[in-house]
Amino acid sequence: MIKSFLMLFSLLCLLLVVAIGHYLSYNRANHTIEDTSSLSGLSSFSWSVGYAEPRIRGYRIMQNPAYPQMQAINKMDFIYAQ
Amino acid sequence: MLNSTFLHFLTLLLFKQKSKHIGTVLVSVMLIFLLSSVLFISSSLESSLMKTLQGEADFTVTKLKAGETTQTPNEWMDKIEQINGISALSPRIYGRYFYAPKEKSFLIVGVDFFEEQNAKTIQKLIDGLDLKAFLSTDSMIVGAGVKQFLEAHYFKNYFTFKTSQGRFKKVKILSTLPSQHNLIANDMVLMPIELAREVLGMAEEEITDITFNVPNDAEWSTIIAKLHLMFNDVRVVEKKEIQKAYENLYNYKGGLFLILYLITLLTFVLILYQRYTMVYSSERKEIGILRAIGWSIQDILKLKFYENIIIVMVSFVLGVVLAYGYIFMLDAPLLSQIFLGGANLENYVVFTPVVPFGLLGSIFLFYAVPFLAAVLIPAWKIAVIPPKEAML
Repeated sequence: MIKSFLMLFSLLCLLLVVAIGHYLSYNRANHTIEDTSSLSGLSSFSWSVGYAEPRIRGYRIMQNPAYPQMQAINKMDFIYAQ
Repeated sequence: MLNSTFLHFLTLLLFKQKSKHIGTVLVSVMLIFLLSSVLFISSSLESSLMKTLQGEADFTVTKLKAGETTQTPNEWMDKIEQINGISALSPRIYGRYFYAPKEKSFLIVGVDFFEEQNAKTIQKLIDGLDLKAFLSTDSMIVGAGVKQFLEAHYFKNYFTFKTSQGRFKKVKILSTLPSQHNLIANDMVLMPIELAREVLGMAEEEITDITFNVPNDAEWSTIIAKLHLMFNDVRVVEKKEIQKAYENLYNYKGGLFLILYLITLLTFVLILYQRYTMVYSSERKEIGILRAIGWSIQDILKLKFYENIIIVMVSFVLGVVLAYGYIFMLDAPLLSQIFLGGANLENYVVFTPVVPFGLLGSIFLFYAVPFLAAVLIPAWKIAVIPPKEAML
């Protein structure tokens, strides 16, 4: 194998090792957002949405315009289910 | 065939013809980088969301008025409590405060700090917080995004809320929530329940909604039925429904990029096929010489296969590692806005590394198989020509 190829290979391995090292050594215990969620009782993400848009999911009809068939459960669903 | 001479010849060939490969590698790296970035960010957000959802109550009950949610009467709590099989019934008080001068909004959340569990959690979140001092004056704890916004608008220690009654309420900014929690707390303002009621203009007997758990899954539909029979104007939201909505949202955003990727990949493979057809036509002589000195068609194809598998591997590893660094080390500048929005306060989120290995494997297959096919088919077409003809 020629030297340049070995160098390229080593560089790639080094990059891979750095990424794997970061993944394995990442302190997940420090980044628990469950505490804030349990304190506020809200799990919704802090989406940077306009005032007119719902900040908390689940309190408007959860219907995605891209998936009109994705209906939220509501009173009518219940009635039809009977 | 895979001896050191072959490897030497292979690597020599790769570097000798590097100008031929460099463009392919660059485009491939860019494609894989973009797709992996989107998948990484979407997987990380989804995983964080699922974790926070674990703590969410099974059901949320809200009052409806004219099809829109409105304040829920406090007395509903007593009625719901009568239903058998319900546990952890609790009221929630929250709402958005609109800061008209800058058209930004904060999420005001009322927390019962007298409850032991809440007091412990807030002290765990904020080191050295004096809860007594916090509760003795009108104070609040703000998210990092709110703090940054208020400081930029000269509200260093206090902020004056304008209540719905038109009165002004001066509230002390006591502390900031850790920036690692920006994902859910960036625009959040935590304050005692009574203060939150005053700021949001809610009456004493009103709450935003009611949450509760039903430990026995089999009773869920019965509980929903009972609630609908008990109240005429109620919306019951199940946790699993919210979970499904979130999953669909991220699958939708990730899927959109996947479709774009597939279209781009198809175009790329077509270009590659045409390009290699032309390149190999000009390399007919080279392939003819190899055939003349005794290389079989299989050997030629092996050489081209290994040559291109190296290119595929280099591009894939580079693309994925760069995407990993961009998302989890640099926290995805620009791209995070697509997933988190940018209409309100700026949000700087730390993404928890989550690597979807299954998806990465699929991307590799979707990329490597068409790539190798687009390169090997033209090579095979040349290799089957008799050497004498090929060298003409």
